[in-house]
Amino acid sequence: MVGTRPAPRCPGTPGAGGEDRAVRGRRLCALAEPYLLLFPALAVLALFFFGPALFNILLSFQSISLFELGRGGTWAGFANFVALVRDPLTGLALSNTVFWLTLVTVSLRIGLGLALALLLNSVVIRRWRLSGLARSLVLIPWVTPPVVAVAAWQWLLQARYGAINQILVEVGLLQDGIPFLARASTVWWAVSAIIVWRELPFVVIALLAGLQSIPGELYEAARIDGASEPRILWRVTLPLLRPVLAVVTLLITIWTFNNFLYVWLATRGGPGVKTQVLATQMYLEAFVNYRLGYGAAVGVLMGLIMLAFSIVYFNTAFKRSLGQA
Amino acid sequence: MRALRLGQDLLVVAVTFGLLLALAFPTLWILLTSLRPEREVLSDTFRLFASTVTLDSYRTLLAKTSFGTYILNSLVVSLASTLLAVTASLLAAYAFSRRRFPLRSALLIAVVFSQLFPYVILITPIYVIFYHLKLVNTSIGLIIAYVATTVPFSVYMLLGYLDSVPRELDEAGIMDGCSTLGVIWSVILPVAWPGVAATAIYAFAQSWNEYLIALTLVTKNELKTVPVGLASFFGEYTTRWDLVMTASVLATLPTLIVFLILQRRLVSGLLAGAVKQ
Repeated sequence: MVGTRPAPRCPGTPGAGGEDRAVRGRRLCALAEPYLLLFPALAVLALFFFGPALFNILLSFQSISLFELGRGGTWAGFANFVALVRDPLTGLALSNTVFWLTLVTVSLRIGLGLALALLLNSVVIRRWRLSGLARSLVLIPWVTPPVVAVAAWQWLLQARYGAINQILVEVGLLQDGIPFLARASTVWWAVSAIIVWRELPFVVIALLAGLQSIPGELYEAARIDGASEPRILWRVTLPLLRPVLAVVTLLITIWTFNNFLYVWLATRGGPGVKTQVLATQMYLEAFVNYRLGYGAAVGVLMGLIMLAFSIVYFNTAFKRSLGQA
Repeated sequence: MRALRLGQDLLVVAVTFGLLLALAFPTLWILLTSLRPEREVLSDTFRLFASTVTLDSYRTLLAKTSFGTYILNSLVVSLASTLLAVTASLLAAYAFSRRRFPLRSALLIAVVFSQLFPYVILITPIYVIFYHLKLVNTSIGLIIAYVATTVPFSVYMLLGYLDSVPRELDEAGIMDGCSTLGVIWSVILPVAWPGVAATAIYAFAQSWNEYLIALTLVTKNELKTVPVGLASFFGEYTTRWDLVMTASVLATLPTLIVFLILQRRLVSGLLAGAVKQ
């Protein structure tokens, strides 16, 4: 809105109202200007984040069906939350979300990402001038859209014609192909593989940036003191990388905890309810079972858990950068 | 000693590039499958390369399915939302960077908080609100949603860039009689364009890849975007993997192209916000 007409421009020309009014007008305008500049961004956030967040709380206390949106819902008190706590699926979805979706994939990404970042930052790769090539290769999974990532892995893991199964059978590790995404014993590992594969590059690149900001003199000093390479890694590199590691871990934890796409597209929460997570439970309740109020209650539960995460994030990362600004 | 070092070097290089090639393989496999003749896609043994290279599956995909429409829809929605998001974010970032005003910190925290706040949780109320605003099953609804999801991080990214532009430049613009919008347009933009470009790419990639909002807000086939359209192609019992992989290649192309052009800049831009120390 502000973008189409020069609204924040102050009426600088005196005349119509005389000197006094022009000055007052200009001062008023300078006062209002920042808010006018912020208006488009804040308006769209209000419509999309802040309004819905409050509305979600209201919805979670209602009994409302997707089909009765026009009529609105009826007040239901805590019924949705009582049902949510009693639902055996909630406990399963919560533990799946916390353990498999978040803990397992985040630790794998941090471990693998740290290893790759150290390799990419190693003296050898730099001496052979392979850093650029290596960095481009690392980014490939990240350039692949998440939906495409799931499609690719479904195809790779397909029981009979999938490349991974065919290779495993050919080298003799398997007798027959396994439908990894449809079998209860393997499904979480397969889903984790998809998430780790597609989201690893962010961790590698972020940690690489952190590693490169460590001054080289520190390494030289440690070497002159006769420290061994593992000791340097443990005593110099990792402690100095800690702030970046903390921020990256918190960020990917928040992003992954709420992720809907990977589980939904890879398994629809199956086989059975084996891979149901909070995000898919919420979607299923609201848009498949048409219980919007119940879906909103799942959202409130997820929001509360996220609130705790966000407070930690603000205390570690944001305060620091705000203090700098 | 020399030989030992060379051996160690080769080992590190081999391990690193072995891992990197394994990482790149799934994406490469999509491309190889899409170029395979249909009868060789479902073969019982593993072959890295097919006997011939063919574009048949591309022809079939574009002629027999709605994928062409999905691409067009995605381009319209992503480009429009990128333009609007970058414009709104630039104005907001300028205000945060150059002005001190009451509530500045609170508003800045609100913006950054919404970057962390997962919209996934809000998909139910958003659907209800958009239903009442008659924005369900419209491209405009999707565009508004994507502007909202990309604005918070865009503001954060641009703020970092604008803070590095010297204020003296603004003052020179004001002396020349520019209004605030004039200063942003003719002083800030020419200097901060790499940051603006990186922000635009971030916003474009977000909108191009987004799945859940598009899934809930749009149910009409002629309005579907690439991720939802692609997802409807697989997971069925009779999956045509050659067509799914071909569609996947086309879905990856736009983000791949912009990444290749602006790789370095984008990564540093994305990280400016994420791992600022």
